Amino acid sequence: MRQPPSIALENVTVTYHDQVALHGINLALPPGTIVGLVGMNGSGKSTLFKTIMGFITPKTGRVWIEGLPIHQAQKQGWVAYIPQSEQVDWQFPVSVQDVVMMGRYGYINWLRIPRPIDRRMVEMSLRQVDMLPLKNRQIGELSGGQKKRAFLARALAQQAHILLLDEPFNGVDMKTEREIIQLLMQLRDAGHTILVSSHDLSGISTFCDQIIFINQTILAYGATQEVFTPENLNRTFGVPLPGIIP
Amino acid sequence: MWDWLIAPLQYEFMVKALLVSGFVGVVCGVLSCYMTLKGWALMGDAVAHAVTPGVVLAYVLNLPLAVGAFVFGVGSVWLMGWIQKQTRIREDAVMGVVFTGLFALGLVLISKTPSNVDFLHILFGNVLGIPTWEMVQTLVMGGLTLGVLLVFKNDLLLFCFDPTHARSIGINITGLHYLLLTLLSLTIVVALQTVGIVLVVAMLITPGATAYLLTDRFDRMLILAVLSGLGASGLGTYLSYYLDAATGGCIVLVQTLLFFLAMVGAPKYGLFRGGRRSG
Repeated sequence: MRQPPSIALENVTVTYHDQVALHGINLALPPGTIVGLVGMNGSGKSTLFKTIMGFITPKTGRVWIEGLPIHQAQKQGWVAYIPQSEQVDWQFPVSVQDVVMMGRYGYINWLRIPRPIDRRMVEMSLRQVDMLPLKNRQIGELSGGQKKRAFLARALAQQAHILLLDEPFNGVDMKTEREIIQLLMQLRDAGHTILVSSHDLSGISTFCDQIIFINQTILAYGATQEVFTPENLNRTFGVPLPGIIP
Repeated sequence: MWDWLIAPLQYEFMVKALLVSGFVGVVCGVLSCYMTLKGWALMGDAVAHAVTPGVVLAYVLNLPLAVGAFVFGVGSVWLMGWIQKQTRIREDAVMGVVFTGLFALGLVLISKTPSNVDFLHILFGNVLGIPTWEMVQTLVMGGLTLGVLLVFKNDLLLFCFDPTHARSIGINITGLHYLLLTLLSLTIVVALQTVGIVLVVAMLITPGATAYLLTDRFDRMLILAVLSGLGASGLGTYLSYYLDAATGGCIVLVQTLLFFLAMVGAPKYGLFRGGRRSG
């Protein structure tokens, strides 16, 4: 049987107070790929993320996650969102382990008292991202790359198949960026579908298998080497961007 | 010292006052952790003031005071949200307008309501004169609030820390928002007798803020906030007895003192350790 796409959007239109934010979106992202989402501020990147997470009901069209309607997929915990660094209160009194355990909440009963299996999943996830020795650290004591890895571990503990990363390279140095990319590629090879929004145009083309150019609608979508062209960059940003194409 | 502790206990009103204010200190201590972490300090102040007309109307209509407080507490938050959507005014200004407006309505209603209850007690508390049935009401409502807070401890923590994640795994964050708001309204009613509307916000913030300076683990923060709430209530009540001063004021003063002690002496984040929370 053919595997359904990880994320499928059929003719999706989203409006805010009669203002069109997205229109005519048709996408089918295959499993086990890293897809870059490229567009200007206000081009609808965040709206697309929110639509895929089921926070926004499209005015028209439908969203499928691995063949299931979005709200069923949500209950299964299939989609994980890794927030931008600026959205997190790093002084919050929780440890790395506490944060990763939050990925298990969908599986634990309503008192949220972890079972042995939840503790095992948390350990495994931490080991997978090489964070086990830091599990008792308060999250603010981590470096930029470690912070990102803690949240990726939470997505793994959640057993999410699809990871949405919002500007993961904001405020991290080159070395950390490379480490994060390395980890994303490992997760891709393990079968995860990863959608990354980023302003870092030159970086994104080096590790994404596919790129989506967006400005209220899909301007171009396909394999990176085919669509990452000066013409598409020009269409997306409205100005020529010399020196971006590697 | 022993005599100092024992002497007031020969009076029934002091035993009741210690029991009630201590219990209120515990309930407020737990809630204050969430208020501090969610950044709801101003919200706590706003709701505390906004419940005043509700309490007076409930008295006039012979309803439980909690009902009036709850309706006006949640209603005021709904009203603030509605005004914010309809206008270009920012949230803090909207809160300021709504809570002072409702508080003013409460003051007018107080001045026009003939009653044998001194409504000043609502404003400033009167734990030394608390009647038994009100004590029972406070204990029952406080117990209920505490129970719900402990049952939803982890969900509320997630709601404060990362509501987007909570929502993405199917947790009803609108429900949690209103649950926390309801618990806030109930706690305000519970604390009314002890410190009154004017000072209740201190009970809702200071223990949590104090504990936040002392630890960076949530469970320890809860315990420390409860201990500081309980300790301040006990010590404040004793002080008010010996100084013949307002009980609510004494309790809040002790809480403030504890906060400054933590600010100076906290092992990791105190002034003299040079510790700073990294961002």
